Amino acid sequence: MTEIVPEKTNSIEQIRYGCAIGALHSATAIPRVVPITHCGPGCADKQFMNLSFYNGFQGGGYGGGAVVPSTNATEREVVFGGADRLHELIEATLKVIDADLYVVVTGCIADLVGDDVGSVVGEFQRQGVPIVYAETGGFRGNNFTGHELVVKAIIDQYVGDYEGPRTQGTVNLWSLLPVHNTFWRGDLEEIKRILEGIGLKVNVLFGHESGGVSEWKEIPKAQFNLVLSPWLGVSVAQHLEKKYGQTFLHVPAIPIGAKETGAFLRKVADFAGLPKEKVEAFITAEEKRYYLYLEDFSDFYAEYWWGLPAKFAVVGDSAYNLALTRFLVNQLGLIPGKQIITENPPDDVREGIREEYRHIADDVATEVEFEEDSYAIHQSLRATDFGHKPPIIFGTTWERDLAKELKGALVEVGFPASYEVVLDRSYVGYRGALSLLEKIYTTIVSASA
Amino acid sequence: MAINLKTPVVESREQRLGTIIAWDGTASELAEESGYARGSCAGCGPKARKLCEIRGPFTQGSICSEMMVECQAGNVRDAVTVQHSPIGCGVGQVIYNSIFRNGLAARGLPVQNLHLISTNLREKDMVYGGLDKLERSVRDAFERHHPKAIFIATSCATGIIGDDVDGAASKLEAELGIPVIPLHCEGFKSKHWSTGFDATQHGIVRQIVKKNPKKQEDLVNVINLWGSDVFTPMLAELGLRTNYVVDMATVDELAQLSEAVATVSHCYTLASYMAQALEQEYGVIEVKAPQPYGTAGTDAWLREIGRVTHREEKAEAYIEKEHARIAPKLAELREKLKGIKGYVATGSAYAHAMVEVLRELGVQVDGSLVFHHDPVYDSQDPRQDTLSHMVDNAGEVENFSVSNRQQYQFYALLQKVHPDFIIIRHNGLAPLASRLGIPAIPLGDEHHPLGYQGLLNLGESILDVLAHKKFHQDLAAHARLPYRKEWLAEPDPYILARESANH
Repeated sequence: MTEIVPEKTNSIEQIRYGCAIGALHSATAIPRVVPITHCGPGCADKQFMNLSFYNGFQGGGYGGGAVVPSTNATEREVVFGGADRLHELIEATLKVIDADLYVVVTGCIADLVGDDVGSVVGEFQRQGVPIVYAETGGFRGNNFTGHELVVKAIIDQYVGDYEGPRTQGTVNLWSLLPVHNTFWRGDLEEIKRILEGIGLKVNVLFGHESGGVSEWKEIPKAQFNLVLSPWLGVSVAQHLEKKYGQTFLHVPAIPIGAKETGAFLRKVADFAGLPKEKVEAFITAEEKRYYLYLEDFSDFYAEYWWGLPAKFAVVGDSAYNLALTRFLVNQLGLIPGKQIITENPPDDVREGIREEYRHIADDVATEVEFEEDSYAIHQSLRATDFGHKPPIIFGTTWERDLAKELKGALVEVGFPASYEVVLDRSYVGYRGALSLLEKIYTTIVSASA
Repeated sequence: MAINLKTPVVESREQRLGTIIAWDGTASELAEESGYARGSCAGCGPKARKLCEIRGPFTQGSICSEMMVECQAGNVRDAVTVQHSPIGCGVGQVIYNSIFRNGLAARGLPVQNLHLISTNLREKDMVYGGLDKLERSVRDAFERHHPKAIFIATSCATGIIGDDVDGAASKLEAELGIPVIPLHCEGFKSKHWSTGFDATQHGIVRQIVKKNPKKQEDLVNVINLWGSDVFTPMLAELGLRTNYVVDMATVDELAQLSEAVATVSHCYTLASYMAQALEQEYGVIEVKAPQPYGTAGTDAWLREIGRVTHREEKAEAYIEKEHARIAPKLAELREKLKGIKGYVATGSAYAHAMVEVLRELGVQVDGSLVFHHDPVYDSQDPRQDTLSHMVDNAGEVENFSVSNRQQYQFYALLQKVHPDFIIIRHNGLAPLASRLGIPAIPLGDEHHPLGYQGLLNLGESILDVLAHKKFHQDLAAHARLPYRKEWLAEPDPYILARESANH
C-alpha cells in the first residue's frame, strides 16, 4: 500500500471543531445563563445541532439550544449595521427570557461590519442588567479560543474586581471544553467528586453540579485555580493570576484509572497544602472499590478466547487524547499506534504537549501528530503499521468507515460522536475508568459474532 | 414570472414569491390573502403579493440558506461541496453526515461519509480575500475524490468581503473539466432558509442537467430528501421509473433530470423552483396537482400523473385497488383515534398536507404552525395551491400561525389548543412541547405519511406516540422553562410585534 500523506493545505474536510461563536455553549453550560447571539440566522442552530445534538445528543439545556435569542441578521444589518437591532433584541430578551446572566456573542456579520457591540451592551450594564459580551466572529478562531474569550468576558464584565480574603481549600476548576467534549458533564462531576473527596471545595463552574452565577462570583475568593487540561484554560488562569493575584496549578493530563487519579490527587493536595490523612483515606477507599472491580474484569481480560486488540490509535482533542493514551498504556498495557491531536492548539503549547507523549510511561515514548483535516488524518491512519491484528481506534463518527476498512474497532470518544447517546457517563477518574472499560470491551465483544 | 437562469445568483423566495415568515390568523384568511386566482391579490402583479407580515423585536435562532445547500448539494453521492467560509459554517457537516448515512442505509445504498470541505477562512482572509484558499480547496476536492462535480457554497463572510466566487468557479471548471458550480447562499440574503433549496437547484439546472436531453418516456423525477423508497413501487404501478433527487443522487441522476417526462415531489416548498425550471427549459412536465397525502390528495395526484404520462387507466386501477386495500384498516384507526387532538408544526406545504392526513384519520386539528408561507409557488398554478386545497378538503384551521421556529410563540399557541401530540420535522419546537407533557412525532422519514399507505402509517405512529405521553408528563412535572412568568401568562404570541408596530 502506498498511501501518501498529502501536502498540508487550508482545506478542512470532516471538521472536528466549531468556530469562536461555538462558545455560546460556554454560556449555556452555566446553569441559568442564556446566550444572546448577534449573527446570521443559521449560526446558533449550527453550533447547537452539531456540537451538542449530533454529539452525544446532549440536549439544549435551560436556554433551549438552537432557539436561543438571535438577531438573525439580514441584508439590512449588513448594509446599515446591526447595533440598533442588537439593542432591540436585548431589550426584548429581558422581557421574555428569565436568566441570571445574558452573554452576547457575535458572529462574522457583526464583526465584519464593525458593530459597536461594547457600547450597546455597556448601556445595559450601566442599568445594572447582568449582561456581558464577547466578540466571537467565526474567522477569529475556533470554539476553544472562543471559550476563553467568553470566560474572560464573564470574569471581567460580571464577576469584577475583588480584594477581599481568600478561602483556603477552595479551588476553581478549568478543564474540559463544555459540550464539545461529549462526556464533559459526567467527567466534570467525577473530577469535582474526587477533589471534594480529598477535602477541597470545588467551583466546578460548568454543568449540572455548578452553582451558576453565584458560584462564578466566588471565583476571586478561591485559594487557587486548577487547570486540568494540556492547554485550554491556562490563559484564563494567567488572567486570574494577574487580576486577583491567584496562583494556579497546571496538570496537563486528566487522570483516568486508580494509578493516574491517585497521583493527581496527591499533587493537588500537595499544592493546596491539604492534610495527608484525609487525602490518603479517600484514595484508599476509592482504590479498594476500583480494584475489586478491576479484579472482576481481569477474569475476562485474562481468559477471553476471541482476541482483544493490542494496538490503538487516538484521534481527538489534546485533553482526551493525552488522558486516554496514558490510561491505555499504563492501565491496560496497550501499544500506542498513532496519536493525532485535532483541535489546532496554539503553536507555543505544542512542544509541551509533544513532551508529555515522550513520557507516557517509564518504558513507553510516542510521537504525536497535530492535524485537523480528516482526509490527512485518515491517510495517516491507513499508513500506520498496526501489526498482526486490527487496531482499536478511539475517535469520532468520522472514523466509522475507516475502522471497518481496517477491520478494527471504534469507540467514539469525541466530537462528533453522532452514534452515542450520552447523559452522565464519564470516562475519567475512578468511576469513569470503569465505565470506559465497559464501553471498550462491550464494543469488542458485541462485534465478535 | 419566468425563472431567471441567466445569472449565477438565485432570486430569493421573497423576491420571487413574496414569502413571509410571520403571520397570525385562520387558514382560510391566509389562503384568501395569498395569490392565485381566488385570492385578493389580482392586480398586485406577480411579484407583489401584499401579505401583511408581522415583524417583532424578539427573535430566536433560525436556520440559514447555506445549511440547505449543505444538506442538498452536500449529499450528492459523487460530488464534493466546498464551503467557502470560516470554519463555523463547516460544523453543519456533522448533522448532514449523520442524516446522509442513515438515509443511505434506509434506501439500501452503500453507507459513506459525505464529502464537504471547508476553506477555513481566517482573519487575514477577511482583509485580503479568500480566493486563493477557495482555489486550493477546489483542487483538493478534485485530487482527493475525483468527483463528477464540485459545488461551492458561499457564506455570510465571503458575501460581505465580496470574493469573486463566480470568476474562480469558471476558471476552475475550465481547468478541471467537470462542473464547478457556485451556489450563492449567504444566510443574511434571505429571511427564509428555503432559498437555500432554490440556490442548489438553480446551480444544478444551470450546470449539471443535460442541455440536449434524450427523452425517457417512463422516467419521473422525484424531488425529495432522504425518505424511504415509497415512490418506486407506487410509480411502478403506472409503468413509470423513479429518478430521486437531490439528496443521495449521483451526478448522472441529476444530469438526466431534463430527460424525464415529468417531475413530482413530496413537498412544493422544496420542489417548486427546480420543477418549474425543468418545465420552462426542457418541457419536463411539472405535475400540477395537490400533494400526494390523504385520499383526496393522492387520488388527484395520481390522476394528474396518469393524465400527463398517458397512463390514465393504470392510475384508475391503482386508485381503486388501494382504496379497497386501506379501507378496513383506516376505519379501524379512525375508531381508535376518536377524540384525539393533534397539532402540526412543520415546513409550509408539508404542514398543509399533514393537516389533511390528520383530519382524514379523524384527529381534531385546531392549530398549526408553519415556518414560512409562500403566497404562490413558482408555477403560479392554482392547482398547486396547497393551502386552499387543505381548507377546501379538510376544513378551516382556526389558529394558523406563520412563525419561523419561534419557540417563545409556540407556548401560547399550544395553550390555545392543548393537543395530545404534535407533528414536527425540524428541531427546536418539540423540546418545549415535551416539557409541557406533549409528545412529538418527528417525521424524519418525510415519506412516512405519504400516499394511501401513509394514512395508515401516520395513524399507527399516533397510537405509538400517545403511549409516550407517560414520559413527557413525568418530565413536565419537573421541567423548567426559560421564559418569564409574565411571558407565559401572555395569551397573544405576537404581542411584542403588535406593540412595536404601534410605537
